[in-house]
Amino acid sequence: MIITKLDFYWVYSKYIHNKAIKFNCMSHPVIDISHLTKYYGKTRGIENVDLQVHEGEIFGFIGPNGAGKSTTIRLLLNLIFPGSGSARIMGMDVIRETKKIKNFVGYVPSDANAYSSMKVGYFLRYCMRFYDFKQDEERLTELSEWFELDLDRKITELSMGNRKKVSIIQSLLHRPKLLIVDEPTTGLDPLMQSQFFELLRSENRKGMSVFFSSHILSEVQLLCKRVAIIKDGKIVQLEDIETLRKKQLKKVHIEFSNPEDKANFSIPGAENMIPRMDNILSFMYSGDISELISRIAPGKITDLTIEEPSLEEIFMHYYQ
Amino acid sequence: MNLNLFSKEMRSNAFSMILWMVIISFLVAFTMSVFPTFLENQSKVMGMMSLVPKGALQFKGISDVADLASALGFYAINNVIYMMVLGSVFSIVLSCNILLKEEYGKTAEYLLTRPLTRNNIFFTKLAVVILCIFLLNLVTALAGFISLKIVQKEAFPVSAFLVLSVYTFLLNLLFAALGLFMSTLVKRPRPITTFGIALVLVFYFLFTISKITENASQIGYLSPFKYVRTDVLNKSYGLGSWHLLYFSGLSLVLITIAYRLYRRKDIYT
Repeated sequence: MIITKLDFYWVYSKYIHNKAIKFNCMSHPVIDISHLTKYYGKTRGIENVDLQVHEGEIFGFIGPNGAGKSTTIRLLLNLIFPGSGSARIMGMDVIRETKKIKNFVGYVPSDANAYSSMKVGYFLRYCMRFYDFKQDEERLTELSEWFELDLDRKITELSMGNRKKVSIIQSLLHRPKLLIVDEPTTGLDPLMQSQFFELLRSENRKGMSVFFSSHILSEVQLLCKRVAIIKDGKIVQLEDIETLRKKQLKKVHIEFSNPEDKANFSIPGAENMIPRMDNILSFMYSGDISELISRIAPGKITDLTIEEPSLEEIFMHYYQ
Repeated sequence: MNLNLFSKEMRSNAFSMILWMVIISFLVAFTMSVFPTFLENQSKVMGMMSLVPKGALQFKGISDVADLASALGFYAINNVIYMMVLGSVFSIVLSCNILLKEEYGKTAEYLLTRPLTRNNIFFTKLAVVILCIFLLNLVTALAGFISLKIVQKEAFPVSAFLVLSVYTFLLNLLFAALGLFMSTLVKRPRPITTFGIALVLVFYFLFTISKITENASQIGYLSPFKYVRTDVLNKSYGLGSWHLLYFSGLSLVLITIAYRLYRRKDIYT
């Protein structure tokens, strides 16, 4: 086998690259945010955000729209500048060492608009050429096959879901050590969502850390070990996903046939009971679902809905 | 500078650049093709022109009717409209968009998350702007030169032609610097192309107004067109050091401010 000079440099640069990451990750959290604040004029972006994400973690970052999730991500990626505070990725300052950081970071933006006049394959190869590695066609093929994406189509011809796939693939081409995703499942069908989650888990097993920002609690619960909840620009809770799961609430809506049954109904674990009309009852329930069913069973009901509450409702429940 | 970004930008701007090259070259060649007919009917045309008020001639860029009798003089008068005004429109449109399109086109999140610094992006895009303007000027000047060679009755001073071409290039560069500067001032991502074009036309209008009457002559100094010498038949015609300083100095100042603003600019999509 002939080893060319180019091959040697490639192997050497990968060795240096991995060594640099190992060194940085051993001594620092993957993401370390300290008192980070950003105001847009007088409008609040985020305020005094403190956050640490550990190496190898899939970290959930949830909050309603406008809570400050995207602002935090934009600050991490140096798209915008903070008013005060600091953020470091792998021990490197996100402003001063942004170029170095971006060699190891992948990003899936919430808005999947790529260069619409380009073909998918051309765009992805264009993205790859920014990195210090040799063009990794094997990786490109692997990812495009995973997502069943046709590389010869123009981006402008793609559906929203397929554009999202392009966006995901471009973020993983250079085998990042940290992947930052902002509302990644928008536009993806359920099958593709599960494919994507499977890919994230697989890359995570290989050592990639993930900062997963979403407003959908269920997908964060499905993937993440720890989660931070952001509300009105401030971190209101940072906890283990298991703890959050134990606190899990259900939103129950019962329509009784007889208003008397409604009047007699009570169950421990029900909170924020809101009587609607004579025979309808809505409340938040944290407890055993079979217990709930058995309490309802003696009466006659015309309708029963048990659903996951919105984040806003959880916020109301926990943080009021 | 990043070569990957450079080649992508050159590719994406190639079509519009070639289109502008073709249009301007065609207009220059077409106008110059009228020159032999103009010469044949010179006495009639000159007679008609003597009836036209001097202000109206000035407005058309004709300071001395006799200049029209020379191929280079004829070229210089028309060159102002085609190569200077249209070239400047091309330059300002290109430079207004080159950084800003990443924001309103929502591609900034892809570009700025690559291992590049803002410096890399700014200077790569600046290089693309300069190269595109240079190529446009080169091709259109060549079209002008060939047209001149074809229609000339007697040899024209090539050095004057070259100086005029350099003035055109410097003027185009100044408008490019202005476009780049304006694009870094924009807070919310939206195209400012129309504003850029309007600015070129307003400057050209100020320049022409200043030539019509003595009273308005001072207004002309606000316009970069005023600092371009088009009196190609003048024996002292050349690249004045003050003119050179004006164009290069102002361009450099605008580019430096644009660079400093872009380095600290919050990028939204």
